[in-house]
Amino acid sequence: MIFEPVSLNISQVSCERDDRLLFHNLSFALRSGDILRVAGPNGAGKTTLLRMIAGLFEVQDGVITIDQEPLSERRHQVLYIGHKPQVSRDLTVIDNLKFLTGFDEPVVKQALIDVGLRGYHDSLVKELSQGQGRRCALARLWCSEAPIWILDEPYTALDVTMVETLDRKINAHVAQGGLCLFTTHQLPQSLNFETLELGRVD
Amino acid sequence: MSWRWFHQWGSPRWFYERAGRWQLVCGWLALILLVVGSLWGLGFAPVDYQQGNSYRIIYLHVPVAFLAQAMYAAMAVCAVVLFVWKMKLADVAMQAIAVTGLAFTVLSLVSGAVWGKPTWGTYWVWDARLTSMLILGFLYLGLIGLRAAIQDPDQAGKACGILVLVGVVNLPIIKYSVEWWNTLHQPASLKLTEKPTMPASMWMPLLVNILGYYIAAAYLVLGSMRAIVIGRERRASWVKELVGRA
Amino acid sequence: MSIEKRMLARELKLAAARPGDIFKPMWFLMLVISMVPLALSPDSVLLADIGSAMIWVATLLALLLNTEHLFQSDFSDGVLEQWLFLDRPLAWLVGLKLIVHWLFHVVPLICITPIAGLMLSVPTDVLIALLMTLVVATPALTCFSGLGAALTLGSSRSGILGVLVMMPLFVPVVILAAGVLIRATDGSEILPLMALLGAFSLVAATLVPIAVSAAIRLNIGGSN
Repeated sequence: MIFEPVSLNISQVSCERDDRLLFHNLSFALRSGDILRVAGPNGAGKTTLLRMIAGLFEVQDGVITIDQEPLSERRHQVLYIGHKPQVSRDLTVIDNLKFLTGFDEPVVKQALIDVGLRGYHDSLVKELSQGQGRRCALARLWCSEAPIWILDEPYTALDVTMVETLDRKINAHVAQGGLCLFTTHQLPQSLNFETLELGRVD
Repeated sequence: MSWRWFHQWGSPRWFYERAGRWQLVCGWLALILLVVGSLWGLGFAPVDYQQGNSYRIIYLHVPVAFLAQAMYAAMAVCAVVLFVWKMKLADVAMQAIAVTGLAFTVLSLVSGAVWGKPTWGTYWVWDARLTSMLILGFLYLGLIGLRAAIQDPDQAGKACGILVLVGVVNLPIIKYSVEWWNTLHQPASLKLTEKPTMPASMWMPLLVNILGYYIAAAYLVLGSMRAIVIGRERRASWVKELVGRA
Repeated sequence: MSIEKRMLARELKLAAARPGDIFKPMWFLMLVISMVPLALSPDSVLLADIGSAMIWVATLLALLLNTEHLFQSDFSDGVLEQWLFLDRPLAWLVGLKLIVHWLFHVVPLICITPIAGLMLSVPTDVLIALLMTLVVATPALTCFSGLGAALTLGSSRSGILGVLVMMPLFVPVVILAAGVLIRATDGSEILPLMALLGAFSLVAATLVPIAVSAAIRLNIGGSN
């Protein structure tokens, strides 16, 4: 699958939370093929910025557009994975993914195989280990039609092989014309990304 | 109405300074009106031929009951302003009014009970007006509780705004249903007979007091709004300066 | 699969995965009803007098009890925020959730009220009226308590705050239902009042989900 060219524009965005200025007049643009790592110390506003771009946190000051259109019109073009589990503990792996992605069983099962959860599709999420739960949430990337990926700490609780698998998937995604924003504290080895450093307000 | 005027209301500092002056004016005006109205009403208005002197509690009860209801409506206006113009001061007003409104509701219930004892022979009857005032009190309490439970003031304000708007739509329905409920059951055997006309010597002081209590309410709301503004802006430089001077 | 079908399938599976949530409120209802004769008197005439009102209040409490945490697990799992990326208005999705909740968690409560009615010697015609009022009124009650649940989502120490905040808004529903029950006891016409109750419920069921979705959006905006 090849995506239509897509652009994400962040212009003059500021954010103040709990009386602290997190970032001020932040502007950047991303196009198809771009990977951006949002970096910064704890509490610098990385998650807040990602949630703003995903449309989960109200933009107080500034404008964020996708292809010159307001965010709210293009919600379904965004895939957001935050650091909450993103899956219900009381449902099976496959039921969770069928709900979140809208794909049928064969597609979802293939995605589970890709993330190394072969044979776990009928397990309840609460029976999985933390890393497996994270893999289950990330399996959505293998059955996603959204060009814009926003991943908050995707590498947390993953083993070395899964980290490599995820890097390959992100590379494949941007090669197809998608774009990806993510945060992480460990530097991915096999990704070609730009870095946006937060936490230095002038 | 110029936009400049409108924007000044968004500045906490501007509001804090102006509100201090308005508060002074309101305070003196309310004091004068209340002293005049209360002395007139309690000392000089004629005695009621049915209730004797006990009716004189209306000079407190009626204005306070009016205000308890009017303040909920005022909060609804603030909620609309908050959602439409995103003006934070409206939220400050909402917070201040909720507490003041609850105080007036309690005062009206207590003064009603005190009046009820000599008139109905009991402190509490499930009269329509008393019942809806009680429900109103619970609505105010809910707002205060909701705000206290949510840490972030902006978020707490919006949550309260939603609750106020849902409440204000329901309030007339509650009021009418309670009135209807009251007729459905046995009407209270000792019902206060409402006289169609009150002599001017009785209602004139009442009018003065109603005006006085409204202005006193404005005084209280402005005062607590100023306190809330200072609390929320405690990290702003102008507040630090102000505190440093004091 | 359409988004609606996905939502419904998920809600049904969740309801099936948590049978305790269905049974505990029923259990609570029967316990409250068992307390009434103990606290009042086993005299069936006395019980019949207040029986229908007691059942109404007990059902209301049981309903509040199981709606209080309606959105809590979806919110803390981060699934609720994923609803915003579905290509449907949030109020519509919330409405679907409320409908499923009503079907699986409120209707079972209504189904056991006849047993409670027998225990409190409520006459049959009043019992039928009681069932009708509950069926008609509970959609409104479910919506309002859903709003309470949504408003208090973000605060960890809210306790039963959602219930406390919403209860005053139940007044018109309770009064109208009580009116129906009084008329049923007298043997007079109940249809006009039932219609009024139905109208209130219908309006609440249409408008309240909008407020619920606003409250959810607000709490998602405030969380990380």
